[in-house]
Amino acid sequence: MAAAELRRPAGRAEPGRLLLIAVALTFLVLFLVLPLLAVFVQALTKGISAYWAAVSNPIAWAAVKLTLTVAAIAVPFNLVFGVAAAWAIAKFEFRGKSTLITLIDLPFAVSPVIAGLIFILLFGAHGWFGGFLRVHHIRVVFAVPGIVLATIFVTFPFIARELIPVMQAQGKDDEETALSLGATGWQTFWRVTLPNIRWGLMYGVLLCNARAMGEFGAVSVVSGHIRGMTNTMPLQVEILYNEYNYAAAFAVASLLALLALLTLAGKSFLEWRQPELRHAARQARDRTRRENT
Amino acid sequence: MATLAAVELKSLKMPAAKRRTRRQLPGFGLTLGYTMVYLSLLVLIPLSAVFIRSFGLGWDHFWDVVTAPRVMASLRLSFGASLIAALINVVFGLIVAWVLVRYAFPFKRLIDAMVDLPFALPTAVAGIALTALYAPNGWLGVWLKSWGIQVAFTPLGIVVALTFIGLPFVVRTLQPVLEDLDKEVEQAAATLGASAAQAFARVILPALWPALLTGFALSFARAVGEYGSVIFIAGNMPMKSEIAPLLIVTKLEQYDFAGATAIAVIMLVFSFAIMLGINALQHWALSRHGGR
Amino acid sequence: MSIALRGISKQFGEFAAVKNIDLDVPTGALIALLGPSGCGKTTLLRIIAGLETPDEGQVLFDGRDATLWPIRDRKVGFVFQHYALFRHMSVFENVAFGLKVKPRRERPAAAEIRNKVNSLLELVQLEWSGDRYPAQLSGGQRQRVALARALAVAPDVLLLDEPFGALDSQVRHELRRWLRRLHDELHFTSIFVTHDQQEAIEVADTIAVLNRGRIEQSGVPSEVYDLPTSAFVHRFLGQVNELPVQVRGGRAYVGPIDISSTAAVAGGATGHIALIRPHEIEIGPEAAGWPAIVTAVRVIGPIVRLELCAEGQPVNEPLEAEISRERFEGERFGAGQRVGLRFRRWQVYPTGGAAA
Repeated sequence: MAAAELRRPAGRAEPGRLLLIAVALTFLVLFLVLPLLAVFVQALTKGISAYWAAVSNPIAWAAVKLTLTVAAIAVPFNLVFGVAAAWAIAKFEFRGKSTLITLIDLPFAVSPVIAGLIFILLFGAHGWFGGFLRVHHIRVVFAVPGIVLATIFVTFPFIARELIPVMQAQGKDDEETALSLGATGWQTFWRVTLPNIRWGLMYGVLLCNARAMGEFGAVSVVSGHIRGMTNTMPLQVEILYNEYNYAAAFAVASLLALLALLTLAGKSFLEWRQPELRHAARQARDRTRRENT
Repeated sequence: MATLAAVELKSLKMPAAKRRTRRQLPGFGLTLGYTMVYLSLLVLIPLSAVFIRSFGLGWDHFWDVVTAPRVMASLRLSFGASLIAALINVVFGLIVAWVLVRYAFPFKRLIDAMVDLPFALPTAVAGIALTALYAPNGWLGVWLKSWGIQVAFTPLGIVVALTFIGLPFVVRTLQPVLEDLDKEVEQAAATLGASAAQAFARVILPALWPALLTGFALSFARAVGEYGSVIFIAGNMPMKSEIAPLLIVTKLEQYDFAGATAIAVIMLVFSFAIMLGINALQHWALSRHGGR
Repeated sequence: MSIALRGISKQFGEFAAVKNIDLDVPTGALIALLGPSGCGKTTLLRIIAGLETPDEGQVLFDGRDATLWPIRDRKVGFVFQHYALFRHMSVFENVAFGLKVKPRRERPAAAEIRNKVNSLLELVQLEWSGDRYPAQLSGGQRQRVALARALAVAPDVLLLDEPFGALDSQVRHELRRWLRRLHDELHFTSIFVTHDQQEAIEVADTIAVLNRGRIEQSGVPSEVYDLPTSAFVHRFLGQVNELPVQVRGGRAYVGPIDISSTAAVAGGATGHIALIRPHEIEIGPEAAGWPAIVTAVRVIGPIVRLELCAEGQPVNEPLEAEISRERFEGERFGAGQRVGLRFRRWQVYPTGGAAA
C-alpha cells in the first residue's frame, strides 16, 4: 500500500536534534577520523621517498609476506570449519546446539595475549608437547606454525557466526528439493547451498582476513619477534615504533590502515547486497534461543 | 587433558541414526564430527591448558600469586579503565546510534560504515595512532596540555584507547533495536498526551536497555583483554599504568608461567562469566517480550 | 465535540493521497470512512489526529482551527490497526499510561488512577487481565486493551484505524457489535476507517465512501447502499452485475429488457452501463423474461447463488443472482436449466464513472 509506506514524516521535529547530531559527529570525528588521519599524516612526515623506502625494504617486505602467508593459511582453515559448523547447526536439530554456538564464540571472549599464552603452554619449551617437539626438531612457538595456530584461534568464530544465521534463514527447502531430484550430498552442497550463501561467505572471509592480518597481541606472544623471520606487519610496526623510527612505523601501519579501509568498503558493499548480513550475529542468537524455548 | 573435551562431547547428544521423524539431509555426522574435532583441538584443549596448569599450582600458591600487589594493581587498572570506557561508550554509543537511525544528514552512510573502523583496524595501528594524537606534542595532546591535562602515558590514555576499541559494540547492538522500534507505539504515546521526554523515558528506553546492557558488557569484555591498542599509549609502569595483559606478557618473558597462567585464569573466568551473563540477559529479554 | 474538515489536501511526494476534502462530523456521531486501499481514508484519519499535517485546508474542533495543534494537545484517542500496545508494560500500565503522563497539576492520585483503570477494564470485559502482558493476550483482547487505553484519558473524539482488520471473522463480528453498544452507551464522537463495507454498514451511523482521495458519497448506510450516486460506490458497497446499455429505436435496452423508464435516453445513452445487484434479478420461466441458462448453483447458508449465462452475453462473464434458500428449496434450479430473467431494480451510469 503505497500511501502507508510514504506515511513516515520527514525530518522528525524532535527537540535537540541538531545538538544530538553535533555531539555524535564530534565524538566520531574525535575517536575515529582523527586517529585514521594521524596514521597517514605521520607516515608522510618525512616525505614520499622515505615512505616508499620504509614499505619496500626487505625486512618490511618479509613482514608483508609473512602476514599474507599466515592469513592465506588461517582463513581457509576457518572457512572449512565455518561451513561445516554452519551446515551442522543450520540444517539439523540436536540437543546442545546453543551450547555449541556459545563454544564457537569462546575465542571472542579471550584476550589475545591469553590466546598466545595457551599455545606457549602447549608447544613451548616447557609445554605439554615441548619435549616431543624438541626431540623431533619441530619448532612451533617462536616460528611460523605457532603464529598460524594463534591466528587461527583468534579468528576462529568469524566465518561460522556469519554463515550460521545466513543458512538458518535459508532453511532446508532448497537442499531437500535437490535431494528429491536425485542429487548427492556433495552435489547439493556445491550446486545449491554454496551459491546461496556466497555473500555471507565472502562477508565472513573478509572479516576473518582483516582480523588475521591485523592480529597483534596473540602473535606477539607466540612469535619471539625474530626480525625478518617471525615478524608480521603489526609486529614490525611495534618494533619500528620502539626504535623511535616513527615515520617508518607509520608507513607500515598505513598499509594496514588501507587494508582496514578496504575491508570496510567491502563490508559496506556486501551489506548493501544482502542487508540481512548487518544483523547476522544477533539473529543467530535469537533464533537458536527461540528454537530452544 | 582430554576430559574437558570429552565432557563437552557428551553434552551434545546426536540423534540415533535410525530415529528419523522426517527426511534428514546428509552430512550430519561428517560436519558435526569435524566441527567438534576442530573445536576441541584448537579451542577447548588449548584453553583447558591454562586452567589445568593453574590447578597444578595449588590453591594457596595461586592465591598468593594473584593477590600480589603488582598483579592486583594491574587487574584493578584493567577492569577499572574498561568499566569507565564501557560507560562512555554506552552514553555516546546511544547518541550515535540514535542519530544514525533516526535522522538524516549528509554522508550518513559513510559515517555509518566508519563506525566499524575499530573492528577492522589492527590494534597496533590504533595504538600508535592514538599515541601520536595524545602525546604531549600530538595534535590533541598539545591542546590538552594547555588545560593541564596529560592523556598519553597515563591511565587516562588507557581509557581513551579502550573507548576507541569498544565503540562499535554499543552502536551496532543498539542500531537494530532502534530500527525495530514500532513507530506506532511512539505515536500512541503522543496521542495519549506524553511529551517527547516522557515518551523516551517510559516507552523507548525500556525497549532499549537490554541492548544497552549487552553492548556495555561486550564493550567491557573486549576492553579488559585488550593489548595492542593500549600498550603504546599507556605508560606501562608497574603499579600505575600497567594493564593485566601486559603483565602476563612480562611474566612470560621472565618464564614465570605460574604468574602468567594465574592472571590468565582470572581474566578467563571473568570473560566467560560476562559471556554467560549476556546470553542469559538476551534469553530473558526475548522471553519477556515474546520475541518480535 | 464536533469535527469539521474544510478543503483538506495532502500529498506524499507526487502521490496525492487526499484531495480537497470537506467533511462534517457532528458531536456524538459514529462515522465510517470506507474505501479501498490507497483511497486516503487512513491519511484523513491521521490528519485529524495530528499524526500528519495537511498541505491545505483546515481541521476544526468545535469550530476552532486545530490544524496545527500538536498531537498531544488534541485530546483525540487513537486506536491503531496493530494495537501499538507498550510491550514491556502490563495491561494495567498500558491503560494507565495516559493518566500517568499528565502534567503534575492535572494528574490524578494513584488510587484514582487505579479505580479508573479497573472500571475501564471492566467495561471492555478484561478485568482479569491487569497483570498480564500484551504478548499473553489474543488479538481481540489486545484490541480491547488498546481501546480502553484510548478511552482512559476521556478523549473528545475516538479515532480507529481499521480496528478489526487483523482479527478472525468471528471475533470481528463480536467486536463490531460491542463497539456499537459502547458508543450507544457513552456517546463519544467516533470516526473509524475500514475497507470492509459490511463492517461500515453494520456499525456506523454515517458512511463516507472515499475513492482516490475524494469523498464520493456520504450518507446513512441504507442510502449509500440503495441509492449510490456513482458506479464506484455502487460497486464498492456490494456485489453488482454490469451490463452494457444499448439504444435501439429511441429506447434503452439491456439485452431484450427495456429499461427506458429510468435511463437517460436523450443524447445517446450508448456508452452507459447498468449495474444490477444479484438480489435484484428476478428469475422466472424462460418465456417470461430474458432467456438464460443456469451454469452453476452454490448453496451458501441462507442464500443460494446462481450463475446465469444470458442469451447474447459472452459465456465467460456470467451473471450472478441470489435467491433465498426457501425459494430454492421450492423450485430446485439446476445447472443447464433454462430460465427467464427480469430486473427488479437497476441503475445506469456513464462508463466514464468506471473507477478502479
